[in-house]
Amino acid sequence: MLRRIARSPKALWSLVALGGIVAAAIFGPSFWNATPTFGDFGNIMAFPSPEHPLGTDSLGRDTLARLLTGLRVTLVVALFVEVINVALGVTVGLLAAYYGGVIDQLLSRVTDLLFAFPGLLFAILIAGVFGPAVSETYGGMGRLMLTTGALALIGWPMMARYVRGMVLSLKSSQFAEAASAMGAGDAYIMRNVLLRNAVGMVAVTATLDISGVIISEATLSLLGLGIQQPAASLGLMINDARSYIGTNFTQVLFPGLVIVALVLVFSFLGDGLRDVLDPKSR
Amino acid sequence: MLRFVTARLLNMVFVLVGVSLLTFLVGHLAPGDPILILLGNNKSPELYAQIKAAYGLDRPFVEQFAKFAWRALHGDFGLSYVQQGQAVTDILARGVPVSLQIGGLALLCTLAVAVPLGTIAAVRSNTWFDNLIVSIALALYAVPNFILAPLLLSVDIALYRRGLPSLPVAGWGTPAHLVLPVLVYSLGSSAYLVRLTRNSVLEVLREDYVRTARAKGLSNRAVNARHVVRNSLIPIVTYVGPSVAFLVSGSFVIEYMFAIPGIGYLAVQSLYQRDFPVVQGITVSLAAAVVVMNLITDISYAILDPRVRYG
Repeated sequence: MLRRIARSPKALWSLVALGGIVAAAIFGPSFWNATPTFGDFGNIMAFPSPEHPLGTDSLGRDTLARLLTGLRVTLVVALFVEVINVALGVTVGLLAAYYGGVIDQLLSRVTDLLFAFPGLLFAILIAGVFGPAVSETYGGMGRLMLTTGALALIGWPMMARYVRGMVLSLKSSQFAEAASAMGAGDAYIMRNVLLRNAVGMVAVTATLDISGVIISEATLSLLGLGIQQPAASLGLMINDARSYIGTNFTQVLFPGLVIVALVLVFSFLGDGLRDVLDPKSR
Repeated sequence: MLRFVTARLLNMVFVLVGVSLLTFLVGHLAPGDPILILLGNNKSPELYAQIKAAYGLDRPFVEQFAKFAWRALHGDFGLSYVQQGQAVTDILARGVPVSLQIGGLALLCTLAVAVPLGTIAAVRSNTWFDNLIVSIALALYAVPNFILAPLLLSVDIALYRRGLPSLPVAGWGTPAHLVLPVLVYSLGSSAYLVRLTRNSVLEVLREDYVRTARAKGLSNRAVNARHVVRNSLIPIVTYVGPSVAFLVSGSFVIEYMFAIPGIGYLAVQSLYQRDFPVVQGITVSLAAAVVVMNLITDISYAILDPRVRYG
């Protein structure tokens, strides 16, 4: 598996880039010792300088420090949303496709319902309605969890539908029939036959989906409904800086570049993984 | 076909009732008392009870919802909490045309640019033109609209400072106000639609009937115009159908960034102000638009592709 990834330059390079970004998020804040919430009021909306390598925001806070902690927030939210999407999506999609009947009906009703909300609307609704109260009671961490939950809520049905379709086609394959003819039980077939064959493409879909989750989180925070001050989030930083775009465009540019890099890395990684894992393209 | 449409219509009713219930429930469970906000500084208990009764908030949940659903069916979403004395429907009626203008223009621009470019890129696949289009589309796809908008604004402001012709940075009213939001909107959606069109055309080019058409001696131009383009329209319809509903919602971000008083801006503002009747009205009417457009999309498949028959 690893050897196959190593042979695909696309997968390999995006994995290396992702490793770099994750390392920056984990270790960056301890290397760059500026406090992300400290306001250097003598240096407001500053351009890059030796003292502040990426400049400062409208409160004089160091942009590099905020970018590194914001990157943490983005990656944590994206990771948790995707884990919930995959866990829920695979379970529900697998059961719905394997057993059909009531579970399948229920799944398609729920997905119909959630797909009727255009775009981020339902996440915006949940995050916006419950946000202020959650912030008041549980603070920043609560708000982070609410944002994650709202994004997972609109994300998992897509994954469930995808898994359902894939399992349906695997179920009618000859190796699944062979397993059941040899007397394998439902649990065995689901785990060892269907799931094992689906896991690669689920990984590809989840990786490609992370790009979308990153943009959605930034959008929620930008609209003031996600991560709140004084915490940092890439979307929040862009929203703060866009009022000063006429005086200093670098403060939109830097968090923007980080988002673009993240989106590209996950898209390339997903494409690369597909080349490696998709049995049809081998 | 008739049976298919009936089944879909029944499903539509289910979805709309579900969406209304979900939206209403969210508003009902929302922390904070809207009446206290309405009262402002005058917190007399009598007035409180009176206003609560006027909005019907003293009734049990089921009755409140039944009333809400019944009124919604008649296009009445009640009164706004914040903009006092204003019907939600009137507030919506001011926002929808604004979003429709922005979204409609953006959709037209997107189609006019993306479909021809995607088709040409596919027909001339693996030439410099194709590579250029694909790279630009990928680059634009990776730059979300909330990054593109401020960066374009900074260029615009720089032009203004130098006394060169420039565009208004935000607001609504003149045709000049339309340019930047429509540009940002269409650049983003073109990036996606170009790739979709290109893939769709590439797929059709490999079909047997295209080979047959070439074999019987039709010119390249005739094959492309008569066989390829028409058949690759189907995935494009899948995109355009739902996006008509999405464009009413405007892009929340674009309306927010350019301070355009459309539905998306209104939804976010009403959430800030906890004006739930407006939020509910917007959500339910947008969901209705999505569901109707999806139905129209499915029906248009049958018209565009004779192989599709709904039993």
